[in-house]
Amino acid sequence: MAEKKQFAVKNLHKKFHDNVVLDGIDLTIREGDVLGVIGPSGTGKSTLLRCINQLEVPESGSIELEGKTIDLSNGRKSNKKNIIELRQRTGMVFQRFNLFQKKTALENVMEGLVTVQKKSKEEARKIALRELTRVGMEKWANHYPVHLSGGQQQRVAIARVLAMKPDLILMDEPTSSLDPELVGEVLETIRRLAEEGHTMILVSHEMAFIRKVANRCIFLDGGKIVEDGTPKEVFQNPRQERTKEFLRKMSLLEAPDYVI
Amino acid sequence: MSGKIFDFKLVFTQIPDLLKYLPVTMELAIASTLFGMLLGLLIAVIKIKHVKVLDKLATFYVSLVRGTPVLVQLYIAYFGVPMLLKYINQQTGSDLKVAAIPGFAYAVLALGFNQSAFDAEVFRAALLSVDKGQHEAAAALGMTGGQALRRIIIPEALTVALPSLGNSFINAIKGTSLAFTCAVVEMTAEGKILSGRNYRYFEVYVSLALIYWAITILFENVLKLIEKKIAIPEQPAQLETEQQGKGARKADGQKPEKQKKVVGKRERLTGEA
Repeated sequence: MAEKKQFAVKNLHKKFHDNVVLDGIDLTIREGDVLGVIGPSGTGKSTLLRCINQLEVPESGSIELEGKTIDLSNGRKSNKKNIIELRQRTGMVFQRFNLFQKKTALENVMEGLVTVQKKSKEEARKIALRELTRVGMEKWANHYPVHLSGGQQQRVAIARVLAMKPDLILMDEPTSSLDPELVGEVLETIRRLAEEGHTMILVSHEMAFIRKVANRCIFLDGGKIVEDGTPKEVFQNPRQERTKEFLRKMSLLEAPDYVI
Repeated sequence: MSGKIFDFKLVFTQIPDLLKYLPVTMELAIASTLFGMLLGLLIAVIKIKHVKVLDKLATFYVSLVRGTPVLVQLYIAYFGVPMLLKYINQQTGSDLKVAAIPGFAYAVLALGFNQSAFDAEVFRAALLSVDKGQHEAAAALGMTGGQALRRIIIPEALTVALPSLGNSFINAIKGTSLAFTCAVVEMTAEGKILSGRNYRYFEVYVSLALIYWAITILFENVLKLIEKKIAIPEQPAQLETEQQGKGARKADGQKPEKQKKVVGKRERLTGEA
């Protein structure tokens, strides 16, 4: 049996000025893992994702994939080739979609294929249409992002990532800037990706969703991983007091008293 | 020659003579604008990316050029460049033909440099106005900085910069009227020559004013068209996958524009499928 691909993040440290956000994160993600990342705000959940694909440069830390170690802290210049390779193998879904405003849905999905992967336009088009179909957006292929709802934009953004065939998909709170009634369509798309066996790291406040979709869950607090296990373990038998407290607060928010 | 104070007819009858030199005026304006925009874009990118040494130089350059009048810059180019070439010839024994450089070249250079300083600031503001998310999305796809600039950032910035760049071009058209300084005969220069014959200076300036104004109005409208063209269309383009998009649009196939928009909007809201 072929050895499964894995990503190993090692000893990741990141601070903004004096504020330590990530304090030595070690994390191994195996192929097919859907890893849910939860934790109070400001604990570096997003920063963790952004360090993995170098949108932030950490003070120290490395990532290992298929025996190759890429130093994440080196900064962008000295390590350019590795960084670009790393970015091509990871796909990022942003909280605020970040679709290219001057391009249609189809062009958005084609862009990376043509510019980065140097595919021909026809081929890119074919792939892009297929991926848009996969997220149910094929009818909107020629629409510009401004003409799409948030949920639709996020689905296009997911198609844009899928088209690049990344080994690892990073999702940075993909539903938290959506209107409540649009959250469902995006979660449904993500759930399907998980079923198809994509490897993902999912930062989200949708606890119920993580519980359902993730096969592994970590709880970040104070820049450290304080819980690591199956969602069932983390949600039902948290080991740390802070996790219990956090979960209690989250479930309180869902309690009927607050529903108008 | 009659003793009229103001020869109203002449204002219009001499316009065709002046228009003969309109091509020179436009060549000057277009060449210096293109040169100025390219240099301006380069300076803007240097400043934004904080390229070492060059960015200090760029700041100095912008300050110098913006801080001196065009007329003075034209004189400096016209007298300074030949002196510099002569000096080089003397020092190195080379044989650079100073006299072979046409006045047109000095005018384009001086006007272009002048514009570049202003355009640099226009581009800088426009580039900075592009959402950070667009940079991040491009980087996350694995694009290099250059690719992201060319494919994503500059096209978006251009939309923002266009009105100011149009302004800059209109200024350039009028700026060409100073090119006589460099011995280029364009419209204003020809006007001065014409009126030198009949002493009707005032009439010629009125004619010139009318011509420049008309050209400006023309280009204002051209710019409006371009702006419209590069803006994101208000209505989604017709789908090429339409055939598969059954039903949804069939109903409004023949209906007038206004109707269509309404249907388009409803579709947007309900078409979550």
